[in-house]
Amino acid sequence: MADDTTPQPQPHASAQTIVAPATADDDVVRVEHVGKRFGPTIALRDISMHLRKGEVLGLLGDNGAGKSTLIKILAGFQKPDTGTLWCKGQSYSPSSVDEARRLGVDCVFQDLALINELTVYQNLFLQRERHHRPIPFLSNALMKRESRKALDEIGINIPSIDVPVARLSGGQRQAIAVARTISGDADIILLDEPLAAMGAKEGAMILDVIGRLKAEGNVSIIMILHNYVHVLAACDRVNLIQEGVIGLDKPTAETSVEELTEIVVEEYRRARLEAQEEERRHAAGNGSDVTSAGAGSAPSPDVRR
Amino acid sequence: MAVTSDTSPRGAPARGAADSRARREAGLSGVRRFLTLREGSIVVVTVIAIIYFATSNSRFFTGTNFKTLLPYFAPYAIMAAGQVFVMITGEIDLSIGAMYLFCPFIWEKFHGLGTIPGMILAILVCCLIGAFNGFAVAVVGISSFVTTLGVLFAIDGLTLVISHSTPINTPGVTVLGNSTFERIFGGGTYSELIWAIGIVIILQLLLSFTRWGIYTVSVGGNRLGASEAGIRTRLVLIRNFVMCAGLAAFVGVLEAVRTTTATPDPSGSNDILFQVISAAVIGGTLLQGGSGTVVGALIGALFLGILHDGLIINSVNANYLDLYLGIAILIAMAINTYVSRVRTGSGRG
Ligand SMILES: Nc1ncnc2c1ncn2[C@@H]1O[C@H](COP(=O)(O)OP(=O)(O)O)[C@@H](O)[C@H]1O
Ligand SMILES: [Mg+2]
Repeated sequence: MADDTTPQPQPHASAQTIVAPATADDDVVRVEHVGKRFGPTIALRDISMHLRKGEVLGLLGDNGAGKSTLIKILAGFQKPDTGTLWCKGQSYSPSSVDEARRLGVDCVFQDLALINELTVYQNLFLQRERHHRPIPFLSNALMKRESRKALDEIGINIPSIDVPVARLSGGQRQAIAVARTISGDADIILLDEPLAAMGAKEGAMILDVIGRLKAEGNVSIIMILHNYVHVLAACDRVNLIQEGVIGLDKPTAETSVEELTEIVVEEYRRARLEAQEEERRHAAGNGSDVTSAGAGSAPSPDVRR
Repeated sequence: MAVTSDTSPRGAPARGAADSRARREAGLSGVRRFLTLREGSIVVVTVIAIIYFATSNSRFFTGTNFKTLLPYFAPYAIMAAGQVFVMITGEIDLSIGAMYLFCPFIWEKFHGLGTIPGMILAILVCCLIGAFNGFAVAVVGISSFVTTLGVLFAIDGLTLVISHSTPINTPGVTVLGNSTFERIFGGGTYSELIWAIGIVIILQLLLSFTRWGIYTVSVGGNRLGASEAGIRTRLVLIRNFVMCAGLAAFVGVLEAVRTTTATPDPSGSNDILFQVISAAVIGGTLLQGGSGTVVGALIGALFLGILHDGLIINSVNANYLDLYLGIAILIAMAINTYVSRVRTGSGRG
């Protein structure tokens, strides 16, 4: 996917106080100095982070901060331009989603990766279909039975597992994407905004399931959330991506909704000041175009993803 | 909206409820599946056409006429089966007519190797061209319309070059025309029909009951999502282009054996291309991808064949034939769309 000839981002440690890459002995994932850019856009500048075994890590950041990019890199869907990854003590550079999955890393992508035209159970088993032997016809009956079980376990009621997912609500679709990932046998689970389209009740249900997984202690989870109440309730630790680096790394016990809000509001104020500055400079003289020299590091107000 | 109040994960009552729900679903799905068959509307339209021609002309519903009808739909049905796989992925293969034209001529070049090995090699060459189509679309990222249009012209041109624009006698064809080889590969009266039915059944099974089929739908429905789910979308695309080209080449063989000669006439082969795409679309395959049916394409091809044959039997003036054909196709598509709207009970198209 990624073309490796793109120029490498220069990690510059000037303006930002980079939190020293913390590690622990029981890390299942380690990310060291990862950078990623898309053409002129620097999505990730210099990310270092870690995930401990059995931990639920909340990943925060503004829109366009690069959260999804980081998750996609860990999921094997994109390749980092720079930096190294470690998974369970081994060097980790998955060349595909499939390979990451084989190593026990699975992901719920922000766009859910559901196929509208396929039924609920077909989506739940997408790319891990069960089939008969020796003629490889799909064992639909078996997949339907197991789908039912997986959905009941989450507790989300899907009226029929035989309808195309196009007919379901946003929350139901999200539940299916989550069910698909947690019912697999991954022990490192990445969730990109798993609660975005969910009502309060459905959201609570998913958080319940995550709590249960955590209690069983077999899986480690990285989760992108936007609601700080959810973050404090569900996560052991938070990492905040700011300007392409991890700007904050704290156990949830040592932080609060107020502190997290304050950081983000502060970031917003700074970005606005910079934007005003830029505008003023622009108005002053259109001739000398200082395109993106320093301001390129400000998180783009791009709200797409 | 609908959320169960029971959050206990593995309680016995939950499992009981799940079982009865599953049973209810299984009971309903049989009926619902039948009612929501994508082929439903074209079946209705085809039956209407049959009734119309059968009542308006006594010669329509006869065995002789059925035999005349066969070459007007069996070859299209086979080629449409391959085209459906490409169209479901959201792409289109315009080069199948050229492939159909090209195959007998390249077969003749390989004839020295023996009739059947030469034939297989010729079909493989066309599969390779199909692989090129798939590569250009899936890896290089050129639109399939442009890619296969270019290949269409190139292969048509190549056919004219290697044949020196002269017709050939089909390799392996005997004077009596009744060798086993000929009877199997297009020469026998029902040969093409049997091939068509066999290939359509196999490909429909492939589409409905295997990973290949599920992945084909996935690539057409949500290509990014499919690759996020770990499906190798490029491989799926290339595979379908190869199959589509191979089937077109095979039909080229069948038709060359049936007619005992091959004529390098690109305009005829492009006619076939339009017939095939019409058959697929009339049969219920969406041009925008994500949905389609092989059996529907067979019935679509049958409908086109019946229309053609029925109009000829009714002695329609040759000048009017295409006009009527076109109008009939539009009416059929209108009925088709209406019936499918009634069938799914949705207000939208
Ligand atoms: N495939 C892509 N091509 C080009 N730019 C991209 C791509 N993916 C992400 N970006 C850009 O990278 C930045 C980070 O995006 P993303 O990781 O999706 O942010 P987040 O998930 O934190 O909102 C954004 O500016 C976005 O526009
Ligand atoms: Mg995102």
